[in-house]
Amino acid sequence: MLARLADLPLLVVLLGLAACLPLLPALHGLATNQHDLARAFFYSALILLILTAMLGIATAAFSPRDAARSHLATLAGAFLLLPVVMVLPMREALPDTTLINAWFEMVSSFTTTGATIYAPDRLSDTVHLWRATVGWFGGFLMLLAAHAILAPLNLGGVEVATGRVPGRGAAGTAQVTRTAEPSERLVRLALQIFPVFTALTLLLWLGLLIMGEGSTSALIHAMGTLSTSGISGQTSLAASAAGVPGEMLIFTFFLFAITRRALPLQAQTRGRGLPGDPELRLAAVILLVVTAILFLRHWFLADVTGVGDMGGRALASLWGILFTAGSFLTTTGYVSGEWQSAAEWSGIGAPGLILLALAIIGGGTATTAGGVKLLRVYALLRHGERELDRIIHPNSVGGGGADARRLRLEGAQLAWVFFMLFAFSIAILVATLTLLGVAFEPALVLAIAALTTTGQLADLGASAPVAYGDLSDLVKLTLGLAMIVGRLETLALLALILPVRWRR
Amino acid sequence: MKVIICGAGQVGWQIARHLSGEKNDVTLVDMNADLVRRATDTLDVQGVVGFASHPDVLEKAGARDADMLIAATHSDEVNMVTCQVAHSVFNITRKIARIRAQNYLDSLYADLTNNDRLAIDVVISPEREVAEAALQRLAAPATFDTESFMNGRAQLLGIQLTGDCPVLNTPLRQLNELFSTLRAIVVGIRREDRLFAPDSGDQLLADDQIYVFTHFEDVNRALEIFGKKTKKQERIVIVGGGNVGLAVARALEKRTDRIRAKIIEKDLATAEHAADSLERTIVLHGDGMDIDILMEAAIDRADAILAVTDDDKTNLLVSVRAKQAGCPMTIALVNDPTLAPLMAPLDIDAYINPRATTVSSILRHIRHGRVRAVYSIGDAEAEMIEAQVLSTSPLSGRLVRDIEFPAGVLVGAVMKGEKVLKPTGDLRIEAGDVIALFAMATDVPEVERLLQVTIDFF
Repeated sequence: MLARLADLPLLVVLLGLAACLPLLPALHGLATNQHDLARAFFYSALILLILTAMLGIATAAFSPRDAARSHLATLAGAFLLLPVVMVLPMREALPDTTLINAWFEMVSSFTTTGATIYAPDRLSDTVHLWRATVGWFGGFLMLLAAHAILAPLNLGGVEVATGRVPGRGAAGTAQVTRTAEPSERLVRLALQIFPVFTALTLLLWLGLLIMGEGSTSALIHAMGTLSTSGISGQTSLAASAAGVPGEMLIFTFFLFAITRRALPLQAQTRGRGLPGDPELRLAAVILLVVTAILFLRHWFLADVTGVGDMGGRALASLWGILFTAGSFLTTTGYVSGEWQSAAEWSGIGAPGLILLALAIIGGGTATTAGGVKLLRVYALLRHGERELDRIIHPNSVGGGGADARRLRLEGAQLAWVFFMLFAFSIAILVATLTLLGVAFEPALVLAIAALTTTGQLADLGASAPVAYGDLSDLVKLTLGLAMIVGRLETLALLALILPVRWRR
Repeated sequence: MKVIICGAGQVGWQIARHLSGEKNDVTLVDMNADLVRRATDTLDVQGVVGFASHPDVLEKAGARDADMLIAATHSDEVNMVTCQVAHSVFNITRKIARIRAQNYLDSLYADLTNNDRLAIDVVISPEREVAEAALQRLAAPATFDTESFMNGRAQLLGIQLTGDCPVLNTPLRQLNELFSTLRAIVVGIRREDRLFAPDSGDQLLADDQIYVFTHFEDVNRALEIFGKKTKKQERIVIVGGGNVGLAVARALEKRTDRIRAKIIEKDLATAEHAADSLERTIVLHGDGMDIDILMEAAIDRADAILAVTDDDKTNLLVSVRAKQAGCPMTIALVNDPTLAPLMAPLDIDAYINPRATTVSSILRHIRHGRVRAVYSIGDAEAEMIEAQVLSTSPLSGRLVRDIEFPAGVLVGAVMKGEKVLKPTGDLRIEAGDVIALFAMATDVPEVERLLQVTIDFF
């Protein structure tokens, strides 16, 4: 039965999974005596499941020419189409919203961006749970895609390590007479990743519950952390009852968005242990430097006479800076409860621009995080370091092993290509947004927020918070599409589109 | 003792020469019939033509009743298989193999005691020996030859005397009185290509090459007395990043004093391998003969250059070029012993002969018993032997002045417990002491008789 299902087109399978998702908020609605909402979600699930069954029967004979490439197309298709489908429960649960708003909300959740149009108290916690669930599913899909779809095609950060042309699989060797079917691989990895991902979410939920957070809000935050969507319920993380200990727990779970090695999977190649992981080390250095700069600038810039308290508040603001920096580096977007106190304590306001930069750097490859990705930044750094060496000794040979050398040469080149594509995407998006009537600064912040899938940047990145609700429909549409581009990575989209056009 | 030597290359040939000279029953096995014929003609050995690891060839060589097998062919694998065959088929008790590849060495050195894996008792690695020799040369820059004895507490130095040496034309007896606290003794003098053990009336002349056996704490003082400046080696350029160069660089990196080494390697793959396995050392990819590359390695400010490529001529020319560019000390690896006389006209300070180092380390293992170290001096003209004095030895319990050493034998030092002492006439030698003796090749059998060590130690 399972094998039969796996043979269906991936998009239909994903639709089927997405159709099951509303059952969770339906249960929540039932438990909290919001029967209207429960009904709305349950009926949506039923409708979607019926639709999936019909589509499944209709497409049972589907057999793609190149399954791996077809899966890549499906992934892009999933991010385009599934939010449209997910609008249905949203509309059912929230009848007084416009279609474009519901769609934007779903795209934003599904791409783990977490930008929201609605004020937190406008939606009930059940609907917030629906957003978080969609974001969680998006995170899981991205994780699965990174391992099962993008990695075999040499995309999603893997190209930096292998140094081969992105968008192509490995060259075949004669003795390998049969490679694993992409759908086989997908099922195998899905069965590996899903339990781990779910267990980690439940673990964080349990941890937050123990810290004293409300059950719904804790579940939403657990889902938002693991998927890096950063979605909150009616109570934001800053106002959460779990306080700083809860934030500390969440901070440890950022690890899974920093390095793919943190996730205990069998398929991972055994290399250096977790402490030697370049992405983790780079993230640690970045966080330390950013925290130190933000913390110490107080003494350089602020009027020292302005604030006196050095003990508790200084420590609290230090934590606020560290947590928020980690949160934006992993493109999650949670803001620490102490962030505001840090701004007040330093007396010079919150530094939004640094958060923009952190979000652009992004989390680790093959994780749920977005942005340029740490591995690419690492490759560029190594390359730069090597070039400096070569200025002193032009004929010197770099050490570190064949892998490190490849990372510094071909890897850095590909990382640079990606970086430029990313920069172009930002430029084009900013231009488009300004054409649509957004002022420059909000346009820049919105563009980076959308492309790095860190929607919360809109609140903190600019000097004044940008409200998504005030944007025009066309801007929302553009941002929604930009989120999909940011989530899938420009390189993957180019790999999908270009060869077909050029071969013709 | 019956010894089978597989491989009549430089190492095999020299060992055969040594062992046959000591009245052993030596059989040489090689694929090259011409080489075997020449060996049987010149040396007192028997020859067998054939593939060393084949059991029938070994049987023909008399493996049934052989006591020892030395596998020194060009191939590591053949050497290992030969030892295994000798063990499993012929049950030869003692097997020595020369192994070059680092990968084998790492695992072989790791569990030498474990004979379950490969039936090799002693592994000799020429590269490792050469690297060690190179390091010793670097440690004593003013010498042309050096080797350490007595667990590193004593050092044999080969010093080239020049006209500005302050102690020329002085009898050695007088020198001894002049520097009574110096724990050093001149054990050998090479004058006009003739090596001899000096007696107390001999004088040192300019252009002599002398061998001095000294306490390791007195090395610098001894060098000063013989007119050599000692300067710490800080910047070292190594040309050739193969096994030898890499081993030297590794050893230099391990030292606590910050020595800055640079490696120049022509082959990119080798250079990358070297760069991967080193941390601080800078690896340059290029031809060591190229002056631009040499300047990039800052040869004009380097303290020493070590030319250890696999090509003798490159090593010699690189050394000359480096010297011209301003490098004060040059050390070259030279495989061909006939090139040795070129060192002086080319102004190369020291050379390393892998053959000599390998031969002496194999000899050390052969003369097992109470002989702890043997160093072959010059072209096997003399040996420095370090041995423990047994209670049965005629040396034991007697004063140094009373022992009838042959004319070509000198005592270098005596180690009692942990203390290394300068030999004086009224020093009593007791059982358990370690004694270092310089012996001309012709006197080696007599020395062995004195030490009561037979080559047959079973």
